[in-house]
Amino acid sequence: MSDFAARGRDLDQRRKARSAFLAGMGRGLAGALLFALPMLMTIEMWQLGFYVAREKLLLLMVIDLPLLVILSHRIGFEETFDWREDVRDAIVAYGIGIAASAAILFLFGLLNLDMPWSEVIGKIAIQSVPASIGAMLGRSQLTRDEDADCEGPEPRQRRTSYLGELFLMVVGALFLSLNVAPTEEMILLSYKMTPWHALATILLSIALMHGFVYAVSFEGGHELSPDTPWWHALIRFTLPGYVIALGISLFSLWISNRSTARG
Amino acid sequence: MSPSRHPLHTEADDPHWMEWLTGLISLILIALLIGYVSWSAMTEQMEPPEFAIEATGMEHVPGGYRITFDIENRANSTAAAVTVRGELKRGEESVESVDVTFDYVPGQSQSSGAILFLTDPGSAQLTLRAIGYTDP
Repeated sequence: MSDFAARGRDLDQRRKARSAFLAGMGRGLAGALLFALPMLMTIEMWQLGFYVAREKLLLLMVIDLPLLVILSHRIGFEETFDWREDVRDAIVAYGIGIAASAAILFLFGLLNLDMPWSEVIGKIAIQSVPASIGAMLGRSQLTRDEDADCEGPEPRQRRTSYLGELFLMVVGALFLSLNVAPTEEMILLSYKMTPWHALATILLSIALMHGFVYAVSFEGGHELSPDTPWWHALIRFTLPGYVIALGISLFSLWISNRSTARG
Repeated sequence: MSPSRHPLHTEADDPHWMEWLTGLISLILIALLIGYVSWSAMTEQMEPPEFAIEATGMEHVPGGYRITFDIENRANSTAAAVTVRGELKRGEESVESVDVTFDYVPGQSQSSGAILFLTDPGSAQLTLRAIGYTDP
């Protein structure tokens, strides 16, 4: 009798775990689609799939994995407590990204069996990077409340360290810049803009970023106390953030072959 | 990294020297960037595109001959839809004429392309010149 009850409880628990797992996968898929769909519908991203140098593609894919691991550790879908779980979650997110990219590209008629394999793989690989970031964010953003009764010792403190803050900027910058760096418009814009336009854009970007730093920091209420002088935040967060954005932009442009050598 | 080893303090009270160093390096990089852009904003006069074209090689390919060339825009403004015409002449008579269009030739930059002829360019006089462009 008691044996029967225990087995029932065990079954119930397993069923719960399975539905939680399926829900997680669903959220990951939703996140991947939500984030990557604009890129899946960009001509230049398809073209990039076959003309990007394979070393660059490899570099991008290799960078994506540790990025996902750290991302999982920081904001993870399930509250993760050790790096092994983070690696597992990162690989799952990457897998979801690859599967979602392949499925959507196929549905759009962009993949067929007559294509050379290198083109098929290239197209999926380049899209899977933003899609995997989307999958990770999608799962983590939607799982919070249910994990309140998670099995861990105590919820991890969601306090972001300075390095963590900069790291999140890197992920955000990479994701956003992959949206626009491969497009033809980037080239045209650079020719339309005079140095005066560029100067105004730099100053406006820094001002806007500083606004974001303030809005975000006070929201969490931990990084900056209201009596910190404004220039402290400027030097410690806004300016490094701007330099990160510059570096990542250059990297994305280099990946998409948009930064050509000057003659 | 996270969670912090000093759970109770706010970072604003006592930011680590690393943060200031990172900020300082960023400040220097951004100052250089702004300085460079301002300098070019103040000194740069826009001049109309000016092309120099130079043939870099000839190759026999199936069905014809390939002439590769570099096109350099020596001015600082960018030209779009640059059409380059390659012409083969024997004396005054034009034997073959082929056009190729570059989407962009940026200012102070070099692009390269190729023209495919049917006639052997070795047997004639080759001229390469830009015949037009649009503003981007």
